[in-house]
Amino acid sequence: MKPSKTAAPGRLLTQAAGERQTGALVVGGHPGGTVYLIEGQVTYAESAAAPGVGELLTASGRLAARTWQAALDAGTSRAQVGRILLDHGHLTQGELELCVLGATYDAAYFALSPASAPVDFLDGATHWLGPIVRVDPAAVTREARRRARLLDEIYPHPQLDTAAVIPVPRPPVERVTITAAQWELLVHADGQRTPADLAQLLGRAGYATIQELRRLAALGLIELPAARERDSDNPDLVRLPRARGTAVDVRRPALSPGDGPTVPIVTGPRPAPASGDPPGPAAETDPATMHAPRLARRKPGAKLPKEVAADTGQMHTGTDEVLLKRIRTALRALR
Amino acid sequence: MPGVENCLQEAMAIPGAIGASIVDYTTGFPVATTGAAPNEDHDAAAAGTADVVQAAQSRSLFVSAVPHDLLEDLIITTAGGYHLLRLVQTDFDSRLVLYVWLDRIRGNLAVARRRMQILAEELVAT
Repeated sequence: MKPSKTAAPGRLLTQAAGERQTGALVVGGHPGGTVYLIEGQVTYAESAAAPGVGELLTASGRLAARTWQAALDAGTSRAQVGRILLDHGHLTQGELELCVLGATYDAAYFALSPASAPVDFLDGATHWLGPIVRVDPAAVTREARRRARLLDEIYPHPQLDTAAVIPVPRPPVERVTITAAQWELLVHADGQRTPADLAQLLGRAGYATIQELRRLAALGLIELPAARERDSDNPDLVRLPRARGTAVDVRRPALSPGDGPTVPIVTGPRPAPASGDPPGPAAETDPATMHAPRLARRKPGAKLPKEVAADTGQMHTGTDEVLLKRIRTALRALR
Repeated sequence: MPGVENCLQEAMAIPGAIGASIVDYTTGFPVATTGAAPNEDHDAAAAGTADVVQAAQSRSLFVSAVPHDLLEDLIITTAGGYHLLRLVQTDFDSRLVLYVWLDRIRGNLAVARRRMQILAEELVAT
């Protein structure tokens, strides 16, 4: 593997495509993503900000979580998960192709839109889904650029795409008309969830989610992150879901026992404990409390992330304190 | 096993068909195309298709006049042809429309509409 370098992901994709390479273009940063190529043609893409084929199919109820998991178990090592779903009659060719195409363009937007990001090319890497579609890389990069432009035509505030979604407490006008998709987003926006979280939760395309959120912001129904940053010295609430199972899992650092929980930590003077606060040590004995903040949202029936499953016995002292602070931060953000 | 390519081929077999595509109507992107497009531009046709579907779906009240009512298809008639837009209902999250451009003289609207309905259903039905 070549060392990671900083470049324009779109340009590197064009170059890899020109050399008819097979492998994975791994784009770092937030949200980052991976674009898979076979002989210079794009076969799949994934990003933390875009639900993958598995999420789309299981969140909608099209496939039962165990059906998906069984296909993963049987096909991951041979890169034939898609083939297996078709052969077993769980999906039609048309459905799978449309789902893969949708997920690919969705993830490619997030992976390719940064002007510059740390980029790796993993020679020969293939995705466990197997080749279902083949797309011209030029079309993918062109479409990623076009989508960025479309968003700015709706409402040119890119900070909305990554910041936690906070609905305004009161609509700015007497009467508002929203679509079903917008309603769904507003109902599930709890002040903590980012657009990427909402897309994963609802099983909706990441780009379509951002599009609706920009429209909602244009209507004045969700807060602009810039307005929030000024009046607080609080830590950033921006949070992406953790990396999910990928064929090339190079972005996830090995978790050492000393690692802290993945929640914002307030570095200010500690408030005096209120009399009603539960005593710390009592909560520490509850393993559920210990691990709650470290787990990404999973589909029903999905396996625990490796690093969590491995160290279930491990105790992180002080997690309850971090959790309380996180709740406090969230409440403050809602104010 | 009808795939996307196969679906478009069959759409082209509809009497009078000049061009066909499957369009993502949130972004106005042609996911797959075949045959000719108005002004030889599939991208522009897709963007126009998306505008029309969105206008019908979000900005008109008749689509939601009855509970659980659903937009099925749209027909645009011009002097030279018919433009048929049939929504493809997938269980998973997508916003897709099957678009077929028909020649006005050779095309038969009723036949084309019926065939497109079957194609859109077969594409996603097990």
